[in-house]
Amino acid sequence: MKRTLILSTAICALLASTIYAFGDIARPKPTPAEGKPIFYTGLTIVPDAKSYEARLQISQETLKRIHAAAANNSDQSSMIQSVTHSSTRTIIAGLFMFLAVSFAGVWFARSSQRRNWKAVAAVLLIAVVFGLATIIVRANAGPPGYIRWQNLPQALKDGKATSGGLSIEIVPGDDNMKLIIPLRNTPKPGEE
Amino acid sequence: MERTANIPLAAWPGARSVGRPRVTARAFAALLVASACLSALLASWLPLQVSIVTVFLFAGPHNWFELRYFLMRLPARFGRSRNFFVVAFAGIGVLTLASAALPALFYSGLWSGANWPLAIATWNTFLLLWISALVLMRAKQKAKRDWFWVLPIAFTLCAINWLAPELFSLAIVYLHPLVALWFFDRHLRRARSEWLPTYRRCLMLLPMLIVAMFWLLSGTPSLADDNGLAWRITQHAGGQLLPNVSTHLLVSMHVFLEMLHYGVWIIALPLVGATGAIWSTKTIPLARRRHGFPKLIAAILICSLFVVAVLWMGFTINYAATRDIYFAVAIAHVLAEAPFLLRMI
Repeated sequence: MKRTLILSTAICALLASTIYAFGDIARPKPTPAEGKPIFYTGLTIVPDAKSYEARLQISQETLKRIHAAAANNSDQSSMIQSVTHSSTRTIIAGLFMFLAVSFAGVWFARSSQRRNWKAVAAVLLIAVVFGLATIIVRANAGPPGYIRWQNLPQALKDGKATSGGLSIEIVPGDDNMKLIIPLRNTPKPGEE
Repeated sequence: MERTANIPLAAWPGARSVGRPRVTARAFAALLVASACLSALLASWLPLQVSIVTVFLFAGPHNWFELRYFLMRLPARFGRSRNFFVVAFAGIGVLTLASAALPALFYSGLWSGANWPLAIATWNTFLLLWISALVLMRAKQKAKRDWFWVLPIAFTLCAINWLAPELFSLAIVYLHPLVALWFFDRHLRRARSEWLPTYRRCLMLLPMLIVAMFWLLSGTPSLADDNGLAWRITQHAGGQLLPNVSTHLLVSMHVFLEMLHYGVWIIALPLVGATGAIWSTKTIPLARRRHGFPKLIAAILICSLFVVAVLWMGFTINYAATRDIYFAVAIAHVLAEAPFLLRMI
């Protein structure tokens, strides 16, 4: 009994000390505001040996659409924001998740004697499909955008044009326009 | 008493051996592949135009064909399936009314649209619970069937729905056309079982076409949605919910799936195993049975044809408004597919 009491006190003291430990951690730096995608379009990068200045050409129609998208965007919040700011929906989702796990347990226990492996495989398959679907949605669907930009350095060297998808984002501040190209470093032969 | 399981799936029974066109499985496969490829090509090439034309031409007729097919699948007497059909029809009625009421309340100014995601999530939850109830009721009708696993899946879907209700609704928009392919599978199983393996092999082409469309269209610029109709079409395909995805890809994908859906209901299902007239009510159990309702069934089918004609007129006069009204009401046929598909499993 005494030993249990001492152990419990020690654990409580250890847990309490974490508060002070956290108190010593520096305040996290405010994360820079992320850009908010408003419009999706295509981009072609064309090297031009005769130009003296980098130029950004936007068709009149695209400019109109960007303008319209920016105007419509002012009162829209992102999906993640709407989920994190909606406690009601999060609570109800949690409740249903609890029910799902509970009923899955009941079903698993019920079927343990005559386990239907095909059904188990089907459920796992569905879970995998949903997982993959989630990944696809998070990755904005389709093949990842960086694949189309992989040959950009070589194309620039060769003086060829490269086309790919472009997401137009609105960022706070008054900085210059920035073009972010998703390039992955691929090790050259012989490089580690 | 005629049980649903005993109702022949071929639209015109007794005609199997007489006058049936001799189409080989290979020709059937070639037809399926050609139709799918052509649909994908047209949808990718001119998504907005093809969307407008296909909805105009086929939205109404495909609902008529679905109605006729469901009447054909309705047993003459419900017997021990009575509770199943009561729950099914009650669900279709209540959920359709609720779905149509939301935009109606919004446009009439009685509801500001506040808590729209909550309303959508609630509706989706009732839809999932209704389908789960139908699945469990259907499972009870067969002794060796344990479909209890449907509950954890339904609750998981409910949870996902509450996290992203609008995306969940969008998923229904994209998945619903595929249900027709399932219907066709069950139909072939009884009407032309020798074509079933060929059909299933042809289905393998579908993910390949979808991946190819993703690959080709993911880098294309979004469609110009500067007029009300184009905006409606891109919004229906999820343009606002998925801002990082080209609306060209979204609309093309949706149109492609819709074209498959229409093709199955208007061409494939009535033609496979059929040799008679589509207006004949003799293949409908409720009309055929002794003391049945042949006049009522005929009246329902004729009135539905009238509704199709009205829909065409509406599209001609004001396409955008009619399209909105159609998609608000068309949820009824989406819902009706659930119980009838379950009866075929």
